[in-house]
Amino acid sequence: MKTKTFQPGDKIKIQTKSKSWEGYILQSHDPEIILLKLKSGYNIGLRESEILDATIIKSTDKRNNTKLVSQRNDLQLPKVAIVITGGTISSRLDPKSGGVIPTDKGEILNIAPDLKKICNPIIVNPFTKFSENMSYKDWKAITETCKKFIEDKTISGIIITHGTDFLHYTAAALAFFIQNLNKPIALTYSQRSIDRASTDAALNLLCAAKYATSDIAEIALIGHETTSDDTCIAMPATKVRKMHTSKRDAFKIINDSPIARITKDNIKILKEFNARNNNTPKFDTKFEEKVTLIKIHPGQDPSIIDFYQSQGYKGIILEVTGIGQVPTKDAKFNWLPKIKKAISSGMTICATAQTINGRLNPNVYTAGRDLQKTGIIFLKDMLSETALIKLSWVLGHKQWNKKKKMLEKISNEFNDKIIK
Amino acid sequence: MKHDYKKIGLKSGLEIHQQLDTHKLFCSCPSILRQDKPQYEIQRTLNPVIGETGEIDTAVAHEASQNKNFIYQVYDTNCLVELDEEPPHTINQEATKITLQIAHLLNCKIFPVTQVMRKTVIDGSNTSGFQRTALIAHDGYVEISSGKKIAIDYLMLEEDSARKVTDHRPATCDLQPATCDLRPIFKLDRLGIPLVEITTGPHLHSPDEIKEAALKIGEILRACKVKRGIGTIRQDVNISIKDSKRVEIKGFQNPKMMQKTIDIEITRQQKCIKEKSCKNEVRNALPDGTTEFLRPMPGAARMYPETDHPLLKITRDLINETKKNLPKLASENTSYLQKFGLNPELIKLILKQNKLEDFKTLTHEHNNPNLIAKMLTLFQSKKEKISTDKLEEILEKISKKEIHETDVKTIMQKISQGISLKEAMEKPSIDLKSEAQKILKEKPGLTQGAYMGLIMGKFNGQVSGKEVMEVLRELCS
Repeated sequence: MKTKTFQPGDKIKIQTKSKSWEGYILQSHDPEIILLKLKSGYNIGLRESEILDATIIKSTDKRNNTKLVSQRNDLQLPKVAIVITGGTISSRLDPKSGGVIPTDKGEILNIAPDLKKICNPIIVNPFTKFSENMSYKDWKAITETCKKFIEDKTISGIIITHGTDFLHYTAAALAFFIQNLNKPIALTYSQRSIDRASTDAALNLLCAAKYATSDIAEIALIGHETTSDDTCIAMPATKVRKMHTSKRDAFKIINDSPIARITKDNIKILKEFNARNNNTPKFDTKFEEKVTLIKIHPGQDPSIIDFYQSQGYKGIILEVTGIGQVPTKDAKFNWLPKIKKAISSGMTICATAQTINGRLNPNVYTAGRDLQKTGIIFLKDMLSETALIKLSWVLGHKQWNKKKKMLEKISNEFNDKIIK
Repeated sequence: MKHDYKKIGLKSGLEIHQQLDTHKLFCSCPSILRQDKPQYEIQRTLNPVIGETGEIDTAVAHEASQNKNFIYQVYDTNCLVELDEEPPHTINQEATKITLQIAHLLNCKIFPVTQVMRKTVIDGSNTSGFQRTALIAHDGYVEISSGKKIAIDYLMLEEDSARKVTDHRPATCDLQPATCDLRPIFKLDRLGIPLVEITTGPHLHSPDEIKEAALKIGEILRACKVKRGIGTIRQDVNISIKDSKRVEIKGFQNPKMMQKTIDIEITRQQKCIKEKSCKNEVRNALPDGTTEFLRPMPGAARMYPETDHPLLKITRDLINETKKNLPKLASENTSYLQKFGLNPELIKLILKQNKLEDFKTLTHEHNNPNLIAKMLTLFQSKKEKISTDKLEEILEKISKKEIHETDVKTIMQKISQGISLKEAMEKPSIDLKSEAQKILKEKPGLTQGAYMGLIMGKFNGQVSGKEVMEVLRELCS
């Protein structure tokens, strides 16, 4: 192995039978292949076995030479805290390894230099994680970071940048953890990485900054309204879901309507909102993690409920069929007895719609009425993901009346007037 | 205005871009150009981003100072990949194979492993803000007629860019500048069509050599499955003379203008040497032979890996498979046919009518290349073509001496009129001798050739020239 001692980033010269190559070594995951960046910028692979001789011309330069935007903060502009948590919006390619690494926290300003024309950003980075790796502990950490900025009267608003996959869970968690809010909190993301000119992060960040400096004291997810880079919408934190694997406008409001439409220059209010105020917000992060979400499918065995019970689970969100049914006595497995038994032994089971859109109504079919008799709580038009978070939060409070609290509107998770 | 190319130290190389005749490179959308109205339009912004070396590339910085907002026209032959709303699918296998064939024909060495790269382009011609490109092969050559070997430095497979619909400022802009929409408009139909880029070494020392190299590479490309017609092949020329800097000239609409453009560019470079103002830059060829500044020459800082596509491994099996079924060049086919002693017109006809494979099949069994060539081309009626199997049957009968060679054309004409081979072979019950005597009596005193013409005309296709000749010889002697 003539190239064994080389480090990614080393400038080297390689002699093969046919040609002499000069370039920078890249990290290769195949020991038989040497990856090389040529002067032209192209990356190529050479077989280790074909290399006759290899020498280092210059060792890797460990210095990080990323040039940051030198534009000064405008101290006259409102102060906005940017909480960076990870995800595509704060990942970049590592040229030396060829892999994707977290960016330097200040790099987010390179994507949208105009951000400093809207606000005076203060960047913090409590942790860096892809959103699919996040759970309760991380939502709690974000809440604590927010608490500091919510209580700081000099801060106009907060922007949280986040991976997209589980972003709507974080949005729902913050909506229950932080109440009586006095200033805007914007959650935003990107679907195209920030190392490309077409990144959606630029518009999303500018719109999030517009929102964070607005008078809307609500938690909202800010992102592209369509595939075009012209408008974003402010989506209610408990009524939003990732509905596409890759599109810029992946997040859609379910069973509700946008709070505002935002461009980089303008914010247009679209409905009543909780205005900026001098309230003292309440922080409540009590949480029961032994809660799960089950989607009912044809032929499914309800013994899964027994399993969760045996594992000490306290609550289940059941994604039921249609307008509010489960398979009953004519099906291969009848779910009713198991649900009834679990509830009577102390488990909280709630129903949400697996159709995603629309409201449950147990009164339409006999099967629905029979399901209601088990003691299950029908969560009307609440999203399953929001319901999972809410049930965990409710069950974190031992003294609360579970059913009453689940059906109480805490953070716009119910909408009595669905228009589409 | 010709120059002494040797004296001024002309160094020149070609960059040839050729579209392949397959579906798109990173999705399964068809490679169709549209003239009709688009289904809808979208608007996008491209922002300058820092390259992986931590610098903004000079060419990218230049583009960033221009437009940032663009309109894209979308068709029902596009999908989310061209819209930059979905990661690339696995690279088109057929396009990869065609590229490998071209690499073999250009005597190139193929990289065992390569990486799809993103070449940052923010002039709006790519929705993603980059063009995907991969280096496939290196260090090949083509031989031009002088016997000189022209080095092929690199061979890339890349995606074509989006077509610009209009760049012109609408007339209303001057009247109402505030309401004017200056966003350039692009169609997404061309974006993603597989493109092979071939770069020669800087060893072309005269416009003639440049032209010859371009023609030779063009011939090689046309032997493979590539798109044909206007806009499917684009040639760029890199030019420098002693003491100047390398300039890339793009956008030759007419290859015949190459010589004039090169001469004008040399004059321009001679001027910039005097003024000490030479720059590495990309220039656009204009119809009158002059050029205009397009952008600075891009550097390595604009390239970074396409992280959504795995490393491209080109296995020995794939290399061998593509080598086995290499298409032949038109010039090779010509010299193959010349060996059979065919005249140049017949050779042209065979190649033009794509009859080479049939010719090979028939000459394999029957050693009568000239007749076979005629049967495949000249003797065929325009409407009803006779199948190769039927021709084989006729050749069989000739070798058994059941048909005379001179009757073949007549027999083929009958077959194409719907008559069976058996019937077509039957001699007509024409008493040629008494018919000829009749004509001789009616029109006395003509030449033998004139009588020949009259008789052949009367029994169009039913008698052979040889028979008539024999009868006339007998009667006229």
